Amino acid sequence: MKDNNPLSPHIQIYNWHISSLVSICHRITGIINIAIITLICFWVALLLLGNSNYELIQNFFGTFFGKFIIIGTVWSFSFQILSEIRHLFWDLGLGFELKTSNITGLIVIFGSFILTIFIFILGKGFVL
Amino acid sequence: MVQINLPQNSKVEKGEYYKDKTGSKNIRKVNIYRWDPSNGKNPRIDTYEVDMDNCPSKVLDLLNKIKNEIDPSIAYRRSCAHGVCGSCAMNMDGKNGLACTKPHAEIKGEINIYPLPHLKVQKDLIGDLNTLYKQYHSVEPWLKNSKKNNDKENLQSIEDRSKLDGLYECIMCACCSTSCPSYWWNGDKYLGPAVLLQAYRWIIDSRDEERKERLKKVADELKLYRCHTIMNCTNACPKGLNPAKAIASIKKMLATS
Repeated sequence: MKDNNPLSPHIQIYNWHISSLVSICHRITGIINIAIITLICFWVALLLLGNSNYELIQNFFGTFFGKFIIIGTVWSFSFQILSEIRHLFWDLGLGFELKTSNITGLIVIFGSFILTIFIFILGKGFVL
Repeated sequence: MVQINLPQNSKVEKGEYYKDKTGSKNIRKVNIYRWDPSNGKNPRIDTYEVDMDNCPSKVLDLLNKIKNEIDPSIAYRRSCAHGVCGSCAMNMDGKNGLACTKPHAEIKGEINIYPLPHLKVQKDLIGDLNTLYKQYHSVEPWLKNSKKNNDKENLQSIEDRSKLDGLYECIMCACCSTSCPSYWWNGDKYLGPAVLLQAYRWIIDSRDEERKERLKKVADELKLYRCHTIMNCTNACPKGLNPAKAIASIKKMLATS
């Protein structure tokens, strides 16, 4: 094949399906979660250096941007957990029919938001 | 490698506009990917106005009509015209399928027709499937059986035979493989859904004696495990098969053997 033959369009033209959307979100939230866990480790390590650091971070989480980060993190973890459960069923060979996978995909998407709200309400009693 | 953007020579440009000459009231716009290997220009999208009053129901009929009545230079593969040969696989309305079984009435708005995604284009809607055929060859898709006496039937129980249902129907049209993002980024190493479904078809056949060797051959980080269950393959399959499930079955066999 000559090199000047063009490559046909792919991601530019291909429709999104529920399953492909959940799949890419699973990856993105996975990467976010690793970053977040690392940050939490740093936060804990900072506490060893005294309580002024604690206040600094506490103040940051009190801001609008800080709250956005917290809720985003909770959503990211919620999504990852639900999607991972879906993957576990797949590993057992279950849920591959198109209809089933579409329904479980929707459950992951909407469930992640419901779980976020649930965790947020639950956490509000303890933290803020 | 993941490369989201198309290379410079593959950027799609605006092409020609073919106005309707029949004076029909029932017109639809059809946008078709064109590339001419003879003039060194970039691919383009040509738009055709088609008289739908005198057009049969499938996308392939629409293409035939354009080729016969408007622009004879357009190139595409087709043969049987009823979903058996798999020649007319292409991307219609953002989804892979067979032009001969896809009704154009299902498509809303303008009808966009592209070649199968992420292939080297040979001309217009014709993509180069040689890599896929080589990969198909690599899974040795034929019966391996040491029995010498070929004068008798090779019997199979009803139960064993039913394991091939949903696998033997595959017509190798490549709709699934070219819909898979993993195959787009790693098409040279990852076997892709079509070939893996075929591999599984021989692994699960009770008459085949080389199941272990076949499994061992396919058990590879790149050949098999690039499948992340994106399920575009199952969504695309015009025969209603489930390559994602076949791939998962191979993974499961490897995990439990």
